Amino acid sequence: MNSGPFAHLNQEPKLPRVLPESPVEAGTLLPPAFQFSQKTLQDYVDCARRFQLNTTQGIRWPAAESEPIDEVEHFMEQGAQFHLLVQRYLNGVDQELLKPADPLLARWWQHFLENPPPDLPEAKRIPEVMLSMPVGAQRLVARFDLVALDPGERIVIADWKTSRSRPQRQDLAARMQTRIYPFVMVEAGHHLFGGAIKPEQVEMIYWFAEHPTRPERFTYDSRQHQANHTLITGLIDDILGRDPESIWPLTDERRHCRYCVYRSLCERGVKAGRLDSGTDDLDPTLAAGDATLGFDLDDVDEIAF
Amino acid sequence: MSNYVGEPNPRTMFLEGPFGAGKTTFAVETLFAWLEADIPPEQIVITVPQRTLARRYILALRSVDRPASGDVSIRTLNGLAQDMVDIYWPVVAPEYGFSDPELAPRYLTIETAQYVIGRFVDDAVERGEFEAIKATPQVIARQIIDNMGKAALMDVPYTAIPELLTQAWGPQRARKRVLAYQTAGQIAEQYRTYCLKNRLLDYALQIELFVDLLKKPPIRERFYGQYSYIIADHVEEEAALMHDLLVEWTNRAEGMLVVADWDGGFRVFLGAAPEGIDRLREACDGVMTMGDSLIPEPALKALQQEIAHGIKPEAVEPVETDELGYSFAFHNFYPQMLDWVADKIAWLVDEEGVPPREIAVLAPFLSDALLFSLTYKIEKRGVLTLSHRPSRALRDEPAARTLLTLTALAHPHWGQMPPQPDVADALAQAIGDLDPVRAQLLTKIVYRPNSDPPLTSFDNIKPEMQARITYRAGQLYDDLRFWLLEDYPQRYEGQTAPLDHFFSLLFGEVLSQAGYGFHNSATAGRVTAELVESARKFRQSLYSEGASLDAIGNRYFDIVRQGLLSALYVASWRDELADAVFIAPAYTFLLRNRPVDVQFWLDVGSTGWWERLDQPLTHPYVLSRTWPQERIWQDSDEVEHQRDMLWKITQGLVRRARRHIYLGISDLGEQGFEQRGPLLTVFQGILGRHPQTPDVDNTDHE
Repeated sequence: MNSGPFAHLNQEPKLPRVLPESPVEAGTLLPPAFQFSQKTLQDYVDCARRFQLNTTQGIRWPAAESEPIDEVEHFMEQGAQFHLLVQRYLNGVDQELLKPADPLLARWWQHFLENPPPDLPEAKRIPEVMLSMPVGAQRLVARFDLVALDPGERIVIADWKTSRSRPQRQDLAARMQTRIYPFVMVEAGHHLFGGAIKPEQVEMIYWFAEHPTRPERFTYDSRQHQANHTLITGLIDDILGRDPESIWPLTDERRHCRYCVYRSLCERGVKAGRLDSGTDDLDPTLAAGDATLGFDLDDVDEIAF
Repeated sequence: MSNYVGEPNPRTMFLEGPFGAGKTTFAVETLFAWLEADIPPEQIVITVPQRTLARRYILALRSVDRPASGDVSIRTLNGLAQDMVDIYWPVVAPEYGFSDPELAPRYLTIETAQYVIGRFVDDAVERGEFEAIKATPQVIARQIIDNMGKAALMDVPYTAIPELLTQAWGPQRARKRVLAYQTAGQIAEQYRTYCLKNRLLDYALQIELFVDLLKKPPIRERFYGQYSYIIADHVEEEAALMHDLLVEWTNRAEGMLVVADWDGGFRVFLGAAPEGIDRLREACDGVMTMGDSLIPEPALKALQQEIAHGIKPEAVEPVETDELGYSFAFHNFYPQMLDWVADKIAWLVDEEGVPPREIAVLAPFLSDALLFSLTYKIEKRGVLTLSHRPSRALRDEPAARTLLTLTALAHPHWGQMPPQPDVADALAQAIGDLDPVRAQLLTKIVYRPNSDPPLTSFDNIKPEMQARITYRAGQLYDDLRFWLLEDYPQRYEGQTAPLDHFFSLLFGEVLSQAGYGFHNSATAGRVTAELVESARKFRQSLYSEGASLDAIGNRYFDIVRQGLLSALYVASWRDELADAVFIAPAYTFLLRNRPVDVQFWLDVGSTGWWERLDQPLTHPYVLSRTWPQERIWQDSDEVEHQRDMLWKITQGLVRRARRHIYLGISDLGEQGFEQRGPLLTVFQGILGRHPQTPDVDNTDHE
């Protein structure tokens, strides 16, 4: 065989690219095949202990994340439905068939149709894209709601947010998602773009279902790319250098604990914080982690078994 | 060693061989060759029949050696179907007759599906329509659901099932069975009508909708066009419908590798159609054979051939060597056999240096009692174990029992007040420092099942009794009591919250707080999370918004308490990779695809190695595209298929052992009956040809 999909049979076999499945040792930190994501790194930035409990120890702790619990649940469900609705639309399902019955979802959908994210490239629009890249001894993955691009020219990452409130620009700018998505796109999106991507060709836009006329745009450049590289590798190195047997530091921002399911385990509170509290300068939408920013693709299993 | 026959530069290739020959390794090599040739990852899909079989691909794709790039899809048939149904629900739902198709569908799990169909089954059982068969309503429900899934996988209407079963049953056998088939068919129709009316999607309906969508040319083109490079692994475990899709892909793909294991077909009870791989072989441009397993040592290869000869003497010659790579021990009683297994494992680990992870203990079935006993005996000897056990009832978990008892106390209007010992047990579990004796004492004083409220305050107890119980425990009890009877009801203004919310709040605000029994307990966290998730699915999938939360909660409480819901224990990655002896039913081990150095086969005399489960309302071989309609299933067919399955299981197991197999033989089985199954006969034949002495039991057990 000298051509076609099996031409590699003529080549010297390479070692199987399979990680060894040796028994886990006491010092093992992360599960086999684990990939960092914006969500896990945000956890770590918010509270190293939360990352440890959630990711390295896999402890399930079903306390309420925030209250009122039924409203949070409804928002999350409708967030998932909204993502699906947009996915259907972008996959060519007749718009006449996309008429949600739930009033909240219908409102968001109307917002989307009337005020979609502006100025998106038109040549290619790809929903639900996943890219990954090696960073040191681990992989980093990003899952995009929509990638819109003019190949070789410009690429825009769009992310749907279905949270009740609209976070401030400076808060969004500090989120790991805003740092990681353009970074991974530049490093791993070349096959979509038709060649290497310069940071300046990437833009990220958050579109808010409750505030459709006020999307938030973030341009990107080489300086930010370098800074993000330093930040991300630094965080991953920091995590990998930690002692898995010790208790990792708890956040100094105790108010965050109100929106963390592990608050009882850490002995930092009894009741979950309210999403509608607004009694201090803490934005519950951000304090609570990604769940209350609305449904996120990271919330679903990567493999549809 | 491999050989290839076919086109010089094939576009599609069929790769076959025994387990351990290097087929999946070659498939991973092929995947990376494609990626290195700049095939866009989004155009590649890997299909596997079940999640466990995707593991090597996931590990490879997530290796840091892989450059930055896009995602390669890994899908099961169900995953492919769900992708399509999710996207095209608005297209297909109105045509299929769902009510309110503009609303989202509600997906049923096996358990919620059983619950939905249960009401129709119960009615029929009450009318005496299943008298001809010995099965519980749950088993009947499960088999009717299975039949509908099998029909979907065969791509025949589910309404054809009673006729197919009746034809194979034949006119000479008891007519009552045919009536049971017909009743099962009527129940299936009632259940389907109910699902359509309530937008419930079970497995069968998802597959049917998927097939329906593929009949629409634009959607069909979109589906097949999304992937142009395909790796289909373990196609011998796939259903006929998946084979249809793969055959179609062989016509369209730019590159396709189809991988089949010769000894597979273990999922036939789940609708696998191993005979269908011939179609795939014919559809490919070339066939590569990897004929030799690289795993077993020569002595085990000889054993494999001897067992094969014992099962099919007409097809396989015996071997000459006496080096057969196995040992055995006879025992009169089952517990003696288990002691021998535990001793032997301890010896292997301590004296021979075999890592526990390289040992598997396998049985045809694994009851809770057997698992408990075996685990206890092995761990008592200082060796860790890991089990993949059959699911156990959620109510059997202590944390779940505690939550259920407290739920009953917080909802006195349900009239389900628990007995005093249950309350004492719940308080002992819930309150950190409260031992069972003090918990009983406290319960005796404060619990008034016929009063409202049913719990009185610790403050009302005599001081000397308070001192005995301890003030600390009393304070925690009072806080728990206040939460259950005052704080929680007031928060919801006397209304009932969804039960999953109740569990979550009770866990977070009380039971997992410092001083309470669930604080720092990962097990309690896991069990409560399962209960929360299960209650949420029950509520969300079976009831429309606006239904009475109180009635839903009460009903859920009932079915958990009756033991009808199982715990879905998923081992953590640390457990999975622990250096521990693996204990499992043989089928589970086979589908994990991980060879070990040493295997123990328990209870070799059991007929369980040979007999299929008694499933009076379904049939894995008759409900297959290859079974000729109107042919009657004869006893000779049963024997032939069981012989074939015994062959597959034993060949599959030996190929997954590297060094040695130990056979545990007990004269009396777990239930106390004499054991003389066909696998024992096979080994008696081997012993006749190659005599060897039994392994010595060198430990005295009382």
